Amino acid sequence: MLQRARAALARIRELFRRRSRFAAEQHEEFSFHVQMETAENIRRGMRESDAHRAALLRFGGTQRYREETNDARGVVALDNLARDARFAVRRLRRAPGFSGGVIATLGIGIGAAVGIGTIVYGVLLRDLPYPKPEQLVRIGFVTENNATTDDLNPPAAYFHFAKSAQSFTELGSYSTSDDFSVTDGGDPEHVTVAMVAPSLFNLLGVHPILGQLFETGDSSWTNGSGRIPILISENFWRRRFGADSSIIGRVIGISRGERRVIGVLPRSYAFPSPSIDLFYPLTVPVNRPQISLGYLTVIGRLRDGVSPARAQAELNALIPSLSDRFPAITRDMLQRIRAHVSVEPLKAATVAAVHPQVVLLGVLVAVVLLIATTNVVNLFLLRAERAGQEIAIALSLGATRVAIAQRFVIEGVVLGFCSAFIALPAAAYALSTKFGFSEREIPRLHEVSFTWETAVLVVACAMLIGAVVGMIALTRTEMAGLFDRLRASRSTSGRTLRHAQNGLVSFQIAVALMLLVAAGLLGRSFWNLRSAKIGFTPENALSFQVSLPWSGYTTYGDQAIFHAKLADRLAALPGVTSVGVALRLPLASSGAPVLEAQLRSGDGSDAPVVAASGNMASADYFRTMGIPLRAGRSFVSGDLHGAPAVVLSERLATNLLGTTDVVGRRITGRVYAGAPLMSFTIVGVAGDVQWGRIEDGYTPMVYFPLLRDGDGLPADSNPVRRRPTEVLFAVRGAQLPSAATIQGVVKELDHLVPAANVRTLTSIVDDATARVRLTMLLISIAGIAALLLAVVGVYSVVAYAASGRVREFGIRLALGAAPARVGGMVLGDGFRLVAIGTVAGLMASLATTRFLRALLYEVKPTSIAEFGLATILLVVVTLCATLIPARRAARIHPSVALRGE
Amino acid sequence: MAKAAANEQVLQGTLDLLILKTLSLTPMHGWGLTHRIEQLSNEALQVGQGSIYPALVRLEQRGWINTEWRTTENSRRAKYYRLTTVGRRALGDELASWHRFVSAVGFVIAAES
Repeated sequence: MLQRARAALARIRELFRRRSRFAAEQHEEFSFHVQMETAENIRRGMRESDAHRAALLRFGGTQRYREETNDARGVVALDNLARDARFAVRRLRRAPGFSGGVIATLGIGIGAAVGIGTIVYGVLLRDLPYPKPEQLVRIGFVTENNATTDDLNPPAAYFHFAKSAQSFTELGSYSTSDDFSVTDGGDPEHVTVAMVAPSLFNLLGVHPILGQLFETGDSSWTNGSGRIPILISENFWRRRFGADSSIIGRVIGISRGERRVIGVLPRSYAFPSPSIDLFYPLTVPVNRPQISLGYLTVIGRLRDGVSPARAQAELNALIPSLSDRFPAITRDMLQRIRAHVSVEPLKAATVAAVHPQVVLLGVLVAVVLLIATTNVVNLFLLRAERAGQEIAIALSLGATRVAIAQRFVIEGVVLGFCSAFIALPAAAYALSTKFGFSEREIPRLHEVSFTWETAVLVVACAMLIGAVVGMIALTRTEMAGLFDRLRASRSTSGRTLRHAQNGLVSFQIAVALMLLVAAGLLGRSFWNLRSAKIGFTPENALSFQVSLPWSGYTTYGDQAIFHAKLADRLAALPGVTSVGVALRLPLASSGAPVLEAQLRSGDGSDAPVVAASGNMASADYFRTMGIPLRAGRSFVSGDLHGAPAVVLSERLATNLLGTTDVVGRRITGRVYAGAPLMSFTIVGVAGDVQWGRIEDGYTPMVYFPLLRDGDGLPADSNPVRRRPTEVLFAVRGAQLPSAATIQGVVKELDHLVPAANVRTLTSIVDDATARVRLTMLLISIAGIAALLLAVVGVYSVVAYAASGRVREFGIRLALGAAPARVGGMVLGDGFRLVAIGTVAGLMASLATTRFLRALLYEVKPTSIAEFGLATILLVVVTLCATLIPARRAARIHPSVALRGE
Repeated sequence: MAKAAANEQVLQGTLDLLILKTLSLTPMHGWGLTHRIEQLSNEALQVGQGSIYPALVRLEQRGWINTEWRTTENSRRAKYYRLTTVGRRALGDELASWHRFVSAVGFVIAAES
């Protein structure tokens, strides 16, 4: 007993002992032995060369005894593993086609799966990077019969909730604006800004890396008590100020005046988005309360034990009392717009918009991995079949089944390990490029990166899948049958194996068909989107953004003059034919209207209110954008006098007045909610344009004039009170100026004004179709990969089956069967596989394509054309794969076949 | 070497006994051990020289012998093997069982003739 324990202890000690040291000592011991023996031989009178040889001979193979000592040392299991792995590598080297195929298939499959899986996990599942993230909720204020489609909160509602609600420890809010520029020293730079309620930082539990945060009284309104405090992001601090720690307290120039930097926020904060450079303290304006225009995103932290549903019920109960706090908001108003509140966990709310795509991405990659794995299993099955005889011999010679099982599993693990060398870079590539997505399209994407955990996951996954594949291949070969095979050779083939392979191939065909159908549907959607009438001509035109500082451009007239001058200079450039200016260009923004106009026909206050997206446009805007004027004219000078001129889009004209023959008629309305009621004269009707997303169709548009020098009217007399500080320029011409040229021209006019986002209109349209294009591309790639794998599967199974029946075919041919008939038998094999797979694939497609509905544009999820095309493609390609073995079978010479193996 | 062919191969399982017995006389290194065994058997027993090393490791694992690097009389470094107390006791057991085995075989052979 004691002895055993000692032996075990010694073994363990040996295991931990440095193997290299042991090997070195052993080498020394062995060579000492041989040298002594040699010396002894010489002493006995042998010649020196003979003596050494004789000594080695008597020792009898140093390698052999090295292995035997290792056996004795108890590193047996470990060393056996290493030896088996060495054998496996040697065996696999002899089958480069098989090994290469498996390694490449697994490598790409696992790399893509882990890469995309990490993204899916990071975006959808991982906790938000704030303390107690499960308590964070987003509060939406939903109204009906309102021009806005989102659920942003009007300031009055936020103010009311923050004062009265009991379910939260704290409420915070923010709104973002991308229309600021920093003009302090160096080149002017366009920055993204968030207005943030001071409570938000506390609520999210963020600490500045430098300086301090806002205090409750901080305000973005200049009130004489000093300069407005701002916070800057770590990125901005490093980029613009070289991480200068003396930044705190410094006054920097922003387009709207001078601001004092009081703190730097850490990069990890990244809320609401990592692209925010500046943070202003948000002041909630409640001196003119209204509920029709919401622009605040409201975040809350729930008290312990309060569910989102309970918080939602409380806030909904609080809505009627809004009119107690703000008499200007009547109960009648609240009822008419059917205001209600939604409370959602912040994580879900953040990613809600992309949830379906991200899930689809995850499913896709799982499918690709599954196909890759089945293909590898198939390759293993074929190999096991080939190795059948060899294994049978090994078994009959007394090899244990465990040993043989080990062999397969080790082969799998070795291949899996090798595939990690492809999978790792593939995963790293996937995670560094993020497939071209940015956090603008997928929120939280900036939180995802390639870490060592990912690397470990890749290697573990690869080896595990390898082992499992090896195991499956082994169980499917049905070892008991191997003895029969030893006798019977290949003329009978394992039935179970056949079934397993047929099942796998049919499954592959079904999956390939599903992916092809999906790719077809998305391809059609993409085509429809691209050929949809977007309402303007994107070719040969570019756009850029200009933001004017407030100092020096205080009136509509000042700003309009600047825009007009800039337009003139640009139009004078060689190759430029026209230049237009507007607040926004179609498809260029996320689709949120700039001005939410509310219009009525005629003067009658009884006519229904119609919502429209408002835009301000210069006289040349329509010509430059290629938006046709269906009737009337564009703006001319003098259009701001009297009842200001407007141009309606066809859709709006029809909505508002029931006809497009409307030139000269009067309408009344507000330019945006809360603006004064005014009269307008319709001077023209423009063609419809796609404003937000192409999928959403045409938006009813109303254009207000953006005229040079304010049309000689007093400052700020424009109907659109909002001054056109930030505008987009559109430039059309056979030869377009470069970004540098444009920036030069702008700088010549005012060196404090940046020209940002210079891009062609075509690229704007591309972006608008990017979502569908990308999904289509991903599904197409997956579909083609699946199709190829299915083809390989069909081919290998049919060819293998045929090669097992060579003798039978030979006899048939010898007995006078027509070669075509023999070929037909092989074709029949393939046809059965394809038929089963196709039927299963079609049924699965019918059941699942409706999940794509959100991505489809003007094509039904069960469109016959796409289903038909995909099916035909699949059937033709896979049947072609069976033609080769069929032809081979038909050409068998009877004598060759009968000669046997 | 013609001599090697004439020699008896060491019977399976008896090598451990031979090593233990030889080491009980004095600690020695591997090469010395092989030669001592051959000498003591009057050159009748031929140990496959390399084969003692796995056996030595096995015995060390059981704690019957331990090892030590020393310099030989020719001032060369060599690994010496020495019998432990456990090993000495084990040698007694092994010897007893060997004698039982030999006498058993002897009885059988005697009965035959």
